[in-house]
Amino acid sequence: MSPSAAATAKSGLSLQARLLATVLGLLGVVWLGVAVSTWVDTGHELDELLDAHLAQAAALLVTQRLDDLEGDNFPAPPTLHKYQTRVAIQVWHEGRLVVRSGNAPEAALGRDDRLGLRTSMVQGETWRVLTTPGREADVVIHVGELESARHDILLASLRSIAWPMVLAFPLLALGSWWAVRGAVLPLRRLGQAVAARRPESLEPLSVASVPPEVAPLVDALNDLFERMTELLASERRFTADAAHELRTPIAAIRMQAQVAQGASAEPERAQALAATLMGCDRAVRLVEQLLQLARLEGEAVRGGQAGNAGNGPCDLTATARGLLADLEPLAHERGQSLVLRAHGPVSVPMPLALAQVLLRNLIDNALRYSPPGAQVQLSVQAQAAGRFATLVVEDSGPGLPPEALARLGERFFRVLGTGQSGSGLGWSIVQRLVRLYRLDLTVDRSVALGGLRVTLDWPDPSQSVEY
Amino acid sequence: MRILLAEDDELLGSGIRAGLTQQGFHVDWVRDGVAAERELLSGAHQAVVLDLGLPRQDGLDSLKAARARRVGTPVLVLTARDAVPARIEGLDAGADDYLVKPVDLFELAARLRALVRRAHGQTQTRLEAGCVSLDPVAHQVWLDGVAVELSGREYDLLHVFMLNAGRVLSRDQLEQHLYKWGTEVASNTVEVHIYNLRRKLRAELIETVRGVGYVLRRESVPKA
Repeated sequence: MSPSAAATAKSGLSLQARLLATVLGLLGVVWLGVAVSTWVDTGHELDELLDAHLAQAAALLVTQRLDDLEGDNFPAPPTLHKYQTRVAIQVWHEGRLVVRSGNAPEAALGRDDRLGLRTSMVQGETWRVLTTPGREADVVIHVGELESARHDILLASLRSIAWPMVLAFPLLALGSWWAVRGAVLPLRRLGQAVAARRPESLEPLSVASVPPEVAPLVDALNDLFERMTELLASERRFTADAAHELRTPIAAIRMQAQVAQGASAEPERAQALAATLMGCDRAVRLVEQLLQLARLEGEAVRGGQAGNAGNGPCDLTATARGLLADLEPLAHERGQSLVLRAHGPVSVPMPLALAQVLLRNLIDNALRYSPPGAQVQLSVQAQAAGRFATLVVEDSGPGLPPEALARLGERFFRVLGTGQSGSGLGWSIVQRLVRLYRLDLTVDRSVALGGLRVTLDWPDPSQSVEY
Repeated sequence: MRILLAEDDELLGSGIRAGLTQQGFHVDWVRDGVAAERELLSGAHQAVVLDLGLPRQDGLDSLKAARARRVGTPVLVLTARDAVPARIEGLDAGADDYLVKPVDLFELAARLRALVRRAHGQTQTRLEAGCVSLDPVAHQVWLDGVAVELSGREYDLLHVFMLNAGRVLSRDQLEQHLYKWGTEVASNTVEVHIYNLRRKLRAELIETVRGVGYVLRRESVPKA
């Protein structure tokens, strides 16, 4: 089954079939209405007309004397019209049928005491009868006509208007089908144009030849294409950047390995091997960061909301304490001091794993970019001035010039000249988390320590505005 | 051969330095673009390995500045920027070779040798001057087809002389070519090495030009 056929089957009738069914159905109903009203109206008019005929015929008979009618001298009227013979006549005198026309039955067409127009059953047939007293006393005249005859006339007249209707129906159906098909053609073309695209071609569709009703769809599609192009470009950029960033540690590993191979003395070989391992560690760290970032970006692309990654909660103080224990050896190695200031647990709506990523990157940066002997201080505060929680990481390092502050968080931007082998990804990860969890991030100069101060605020969820 | 290395990555820089040293080069290592430009302008090196993403100044700007000042030292750009436009830009800025990280140590050394050879107008890998020939790849010297054992410094000195055959070199220039930074050079070191070379090869091979320096003659040296 082709995709379009599958889609049709799923959503029921196609647009074209639905439009066609509606138009033709309505047409049928209207025509039926016309037929019914014609039937009723024409029947009524015909009755009036033919009743008048009966009355006229009766009036003529009333003027005749009985003697003129009696016996064989009943004048056979000349046949002037084909319908003329339909009218049957009976003249009754003192309960005896004196005169009757050839088409009249033997039985009385009506009752003598019921004058005027009546519909009566005579010998199994329905008659329309006008009963009137004759000129002389005790003479009653019945002038009648078979209802079936009237019916024939009615049918004939109805047939005359029904035929064009019936003949026109297929023509109209064909015309409607053609018009509807023409109307849905732009949609069909659009579908074909989209279906014929290669997945990587994301240039916008032309809006020029599209009717105004379809234009919003095309616009929406173009908008989608544009966003996909952006996404793809950012993916490509990321891959390129990542590959680029991995080149240096890999180059170092390769070079050190060759140095180890070619080393003539044992200390030189040991040194080169140690450097090779360091390079591996660095590459691993870079890969881990890249994966973290990719996961976070995937999170952002899927939902743009923290909800997908979960909302924790976790205890910020405990998380910070755990990380400090992890990073203490690194700080010790560099002669740096690592201090945590906190008063009891502070719960934040963030999963533990991500809070660890966030804090680790912040502390890691502070340690890496501060000189040996520097001081790095973490403060965790709960509920300060409408804030849910506040985390401050500050150091006594050199801080950052304003132009570097502005570029912080650009992927792979790295403050050069620090002698550090960071990739600049740590900040990208921090910023991604900040966006994902709608935190407030402030970077400025530490008043207490003189170096860089990073402040993270968790907004109070009870005061936050949903958007 | 004295090489300038400009690379800000500690691990890679130390690796290249150690590797090139194994390959018989003397490596001076700078870690930023400004220092790279300063050292390029000094003209003390026979070739330069230049990273582009350097702190303080992009390597490409250091290179352009040096080329603008008519510094002809061959420069090999070693970078992570692998896009074709970046390669073109690097070569057009005055680079003589362009290598993308990661790079093989032996290839890097071979390319540096080639750059130095071409910079001195040589087409043969094996340098010849009269009865003396020198193979920079094998670090081997022959006199009339017989291998001669030279010390590292003697070899380096002979290499410099043969690359600049026919040109008079001052003692300062020779020292600059021979010693990387931080090496204590005694006042008569060059003379001692030249004496040894004359002794091991031919006395007439290296002539003294009074008050100027020394020269190795390109023409065939008559046998003693």
